Amino acid sequence: MPEEPDLNMLPKATVGRSKRLRISVVWIIPILAAVVAIGIAIQRITNEGPTITVVFKAAQGIQAGKTFLKYKEVTIGEVSAVDLSEDYTKVVVKAKIAKHAAGLMVEDTKLWVVTPRITLSGVSGLGTLLSGNYIEVQRGKSASRRYSFVGLDVPSTVPDRHGRQFVLKASSLGSVGVGAPLYYRSLAVGQVLGYTLGGDGKSIEITVFVDAPYDQYVTSVTRFWNASGVDVSTGEDGLDVHMESLAALLAGGIAFETPDFLPSAEPAAANTSFTLYPNQSLAMKQPYSLERRYVLHFNESVRGLPIGAPVTLMGVTVGQVTDVGLSLDAARLVLRPRVFITYFPEKVVARLSTMEQVGAGKILMDQSTEGRLRLWRRLFEEQGLSAELKTGSLLTGAQYVDFEFHPHAPKPTLNWGADPIELPVASGGFASVVAKLNSILEKVDRMPLEAIGVEAKDLLATTNKTLQEADRLITRANTELLPEASKTLEVMHRAIADADQALLGKDASAPQDLHDALQEMASAARAARVLMDYLERHPEALIRGKKEEKP
Amino acid sequence: MTDEMTAARLGLASCELCHLVSRPASPSEPGYCTRCGEKLEYRRPASIQTTWALLISAAICYIPANALPVLKTTTLGTTEGDTILEGIAFLYTSGSWPLALLVLIASVMIPLGKIAALAYLLITIQRRSVMSNHERTRLYRMVVLIGRWSMLDVFVDTFTVALVQLRPLMSVAPGAGVLFFAAVVVFTMLAAESLDPRLIWDVGNLQLRGHA
Repeated sequence: MPEEPDLNMLPKATVGRSKRLRISVVWIIPILAAVVAIGIAIQRITNEGPTITVVFKAAQGIQAGKTFLKYKEVTIGEVSAVDLSEDYTKVVVKAKIAKHAAGLMVEDTKLWVVTPRITLSGVSGLGTLLSGNYIEVQRGKSASRRYSFVGLDVPSTVPDRHGRQFVLKASSLGSVGVGAPLYYRSLAVGQVLGYTLGGDGKSIEITVFVDAPYDQYVTSVTRFWNASGVDVSTGEDGLDVHMESLAALLAGGIAFETPDFLPSAEPAAANTSFTLYPNQSLAMKQPYSLERRYVLHFNESVRGLPIGAPVTLMGVTVGQVTDVGLSLDAARLVLRPRVFITYFPEKVVARLSTMEQVGAGKILMDQSTEGRLRLWRRLFEEQGLSAELKTGSLLTGAQYVDFEFHPHAPKPTLNWGADPIELPVASGGFASVVAKLNSILEKVDRMPLEAIGVEAKDLLATTNKTLQEADRLITRANTELLPEASKTLEVMHRAIADADQALLGKDASAPQDLHDALQEMASAARAARVLMDYLERHPEALIRGKKEEKP
Repeated sequence: MTDEMTAARLGLASCELCHLVSRPASPSEPGYCTRCGEKLEYRRPASIQTTWALLISAAICYIPANALPVLKTTTLGTTEGDTILEGIAFLYTSGSWPLALLVLIASVMIPLGKIAALAYLLITIQRRSVMSNHERTRLYRMVVLIGRWSMLDVFVDTFTVALVQLRPLMSVAPGAGVLFFAAVVVFTMLAAESLDPRLIWDVGNLQLRGHA
C-alpha cells in the first residue's frame, strides 16, 4: 500500500469567474445586415440575365451603361462594355440582357444599331435624338440559345411582322429606295425592303413586304407600278398629272392593285415575282386577247404622233399606235409615213350597249373572216370609213388616229389579202384645212371670167349704138322741128298780144279780178309756207295733228 | 503608463451617467450608484463585443452602399441608376476633379476609414497593446468627431431628390444604395459610441477581461 499523499500538496482549484462566453444581443444587427445584403445579392444574381457579345463594324454612338437593347420598344438590356476587337477592326459590345428577355437570344436573332433616320418618307428613330442610339433586337425563330452575335450594318430587312414578301422585276429602279412605302388604293400597306441587280444586270429585283391584312389582296394577277413622284404625261388627252402621296413624291413608292377586268385569283404565295410597271396606266392597261394589226400610209407629216397614241373610232378608243415609220414605194418612188396600228375588237364590243348589239358585234371578234370581211367592206369601201390624223391637244401638238366616215371621199378598194391590211386614210387636221383652202381656190379658178368679159363687151357695144340713135334723133329735131317751132312762137306771140288787148284794155274788169286773184294766191302761198315751216319743225303733226299751244 | 491610478484599478466604479466614483457593492456585482441610481459598471458592458457587431454590420452594409445606385435619374423615360463610384467617375471625367475628390473623400474614404480605424482600435484593445495610446485616443476622437458629418451624402441625395422633379423631362429618385449608405453611417457612429475609450488605457487590468 503506498503512503497516503498529502492532498494539500495538490493545487487548489480557484473559484474563478465563469468563463461562459456571453454573447451580446447586439450581434443580431450584423446578422440582419448580412441577411439583407445577401438577400439583395441573391436577388440580383437570380435576376441577372445572360451577357451577350455583339460585334459591330463601328460603335455608332454605343456607350457602356448608356445604350440599351430594345425589343419592340421595350428595354431588355444594357450595354456593359464597348471594346475593340483584338485586331482593332471591329467593335465588340458586351450587353447584359434582362432575365425575362433571355429567351430572345437565339441562333438567328438579329441586332442592329438604331440611329435617328430622317428620310423623306418619314422620321424614324426620333426617340434616339434624346435617348441616344440604341440596339434593336429582332427575335429569331430558332430554339437554340446563343450569346454572341454579329450586328447588322443596316436595319434588318425582314420585318418582324406578319405579312408576305414579294419580288418585283423592273427595268430600272426609278426613285424607289429602301423603306419606300407600298400603296394599295393609296393606303400605305408595306414597304420596300431592298433591291438587287438581276443576275443578267439588265433588270432590278425589288423586294417588297406587304403587311398582314393586306397581303391577301396580292393575287397572281395583281399589277405593281412605280408610284414615285409626279407622273406628268403629256398625251393626246392634254396634261395628265398623277401623284400617289406627298411621301411617295419625295421618297418614291410602289402601288399595286388588281385590275377589275381580270378574274379574281388566289392570294399569291410569298416571294412570287411580279413585273413592276413604270406607271399606273401601263400597269392597269387591259391586255386584249384579240388584236389586229393594220397599216396606214398617211400623206402628211406624222409629227406629234407618239407610239401608244390612241386609235379612235368616231372618238371611241379602240386601239393604239404601235409603230411610226416611213415606207418607200419602190415601184412608184413615193416616200410616205407609215403608221402601224393595233386594234382591239373587244374594245368595240365592250362599247356596244344591248346584248343584241353585242351579239352582232361578235362578228368583229370572229376569227373567220367571212362575216367580218363583209362588214369591213361595207364600212371602208362603201361608207367611206377612213383614218385621219387629229390633234388631241393644241398645247402639246400630240396627235392621234381617228377613223371617221367620209361619205364623199372616193371609194377605195382595199387589198384584203395583205398582212397587215392597209386601211384608207383621209387627210385631217391641218392638212384638211389646206385641202379646204385648195377647194376654195379651185372654185375661184373654175369661175367663167372670160365669158363675163365677152358679155361686158357686148353690153358696151349696145350702149354705143343707143347713143348713136340719140344723136340722130337730135339732128332730126334740129332740122325738122325748129322751123315749125318758130312758126308756133309767132302764132303764140300774136295770141298774147290779142290777150293783152283784151285783158288790159281800159274797160276790162279783168285786171281788178286778176289783182284780187293774185292777192288770194299770195296769201294762200303764205299760209302754205307757214304750214310747211310748221311741218318741218313738227313732222309728227301729220299724224297726230297740231299740238295745242300751251299758254 | 500602466501604473496610473484609475478607479477600476482601485476597485472603484465610476457612474456612467453622473460620473460619481463609488465603491462597488461586490467585485462581481458593483450594484447601483448611490446618487443617480444608475447601474454601476467598471467599464461599459460588452463594449468590445457590441462595437465589433456594429462595425461588422457597417462593413456588410458598405458593400451594397457602393454597389447599388444611390440615385435613379429618369431622363425622358430612360431610367439610369448611378452608384457613388459612377458619380465620382462622372465628375472626374466631366472635368470637376475637386468635386470628385471631395465626394471620394466624403463618401468612400471616410466611411471606410472609420471602419478601419474602429477595427484597429478594437484589435489593439483586445491584443492589450500598450503602444501609442495617445495616438489611438486621438484616432478615436476623430472618428467620433467625423461621425456627425457623415450624413452629408444622404442629405445631398435627399435634397437632389426633392429638388430635381421636372416631370416628365427629368426626375430623380433615391436608389437602394443610399439606404445602405445611411446604415453604414449610423452603424459606425453607434460603434464609435459603444466603444469605451477607457479600454485603451486599461492594459494589464485583469478585472477587465470579463468586460471584453
